[in-house]
Amino acid sequence: MRAVVLAVALLAFGSAVSGAATPARPAPVTVFAAASLTDVFPAIDPRETYSFAGSNTLATQIANGAPADVFASANTTIPNQLYAQGLVEKPVAFTRNTLVIVVPKSNPGSISDIYDLTKPGVTVDIANSSVPVGSYTQTILKNMNLTSRIMANVVSQEDDVRTVLTKIALGQADAGLVYATDARTVPGQVKVIKVPAWAQPKVTYALAVVAKSPNQAAAQAFVREVLSKAGQAKLQAFGFLPLPVGIVADTSLQH
Amino acid sequence: MGHRGLTRSELLTAGAKRAAAVAIGGAAVGIFADAAAADPLTDNDLAFARLLVGVELLSIDFYLRAMNSGKFQPVGQKYLRNAFTNEVDHNRTVSDILVGAGYTPASATDFEFIYPKKAFASRGSIAALGRELETVGLGAYLGAVSGVQAQALVPPLSRIATSEAQHLSFFAYELGGHPLSSAFPASLTIDQVSAVLDQFTA
Repeated sequence: MRAVVLAVALLAFGSAVSGAATPARPAPVTVFAAASLTDVFPAIDPRETYSFAGSNTLATQIANGAPADVFASANTTIPNQLYAQGLVEKPVAFTRNTLVIVVPKSNPGSISDIYDLTKPGVTVDIANSSVPVGSYTQTILKNMNLTSRIMANVVSQEDDVRTVLTKIALGQADAGLVYATDARTVPGQVKVIKVPAWAQPKVTYALAVVAKSPNQAAAQAFVREVLSKAGQAKLQAFGFLPLPVGIVADTSLQH
Repeated sequence: MGHRGLTRSELLTAGAKRAAAVAIGGAAVGIFADAAAADPLTDNDLAFARLLVGVELLSIDFYLRAMNSGKFQPVGQKYLRNAFTNEVDHNRTVSDILVGAGYTPASATDFEFIYPKKAFASRGSIAALGRELETVGLGAYLGAVSGVQAQALVPPLSRIATSEAQHLSFFAYELGGHPLSSAFPASLTIDQVSAVLDQFTA
């Protein structure tokens, strides 16, 4: 029943965006998307041109006039800020995620849970707090009252989640925090350890058509495609989580 | 003897009745919000609050499944129902700690609970799981009582610990043991409780 309601909500939103049935798009659009969407977006639509990076970096580029048609962020805060500045149309939430700990396959720090990241001598790599995954990481540490103890072991802070993942896979630190969906992209290279559910932040992604896009119709079509039943199924196949029923198109959720 | 599962309407009715009973009996609901507002809480205390919300949401999920299993006689079913409504009240009150401090507490949609195979296959397996969860619940509250820094939180946390101990006694009796156990039940640290919660979450 939930799936049916969600599908109906998605279809309703799609109609609201377009105001009409959607013909095939005339040309590929340029999508600026969070690094954590690197694998799934081309799987949803391989025809578009993608630029993947930290959401804050992409937002700065859009503010500086970069030629993007769609912006997809790993949080709702940044798109809402751009919307308030008139740089994008009203953002829409489209999926969720969680964070996990990754350690090198050999697990040199003998990490078995998040509390082990406080042990003396353990080295931790995280994203910096200006990107959503870094902000979410800080939220987890605060939620568990572990900020000072784990930050004391942080040896590097990266500009995007994929850099954290790569460094851990290469053994350049004992542990890192990344999205669960990113951890899945390097099977066999890292070991995944849970972040407790009670400490997880609400990781909600949002996307929006860029206000100055010359390809408004095609950009809106891409948004509809992501929100479609097929788009949502593809996101879930890559490990992303569905939105709870009732919050589709609700951008008021903040992480 | 089997029984039908509870409908959402029945659960809400049970919750409403229980809420009314609480209001008459001493208005536990809201005491944490007052404490949080009166005494700015530290990250340590808020971490305990988040943990306890997780404990309560797991307990609520467990009791729903136990009630719907059809494995208990009417008397046992009544105990389960009462314990369930207790946990709903506990969850509301510990959530108030976070609400009072300006945070949004977790809800059931934030968790996907998982259980061992056949955990709800028999009255005995349910009671064994209930004893395990209530032992953790009691230990979590006792740990919080000694771990929180805001003294205003200690009395209400202690009252909830007493309630969890009653639940534990029910399952001990169900399993054929004595309903009274240790004179000094063990308190658990936040990481010990978290490790147990991890076992029951996807």
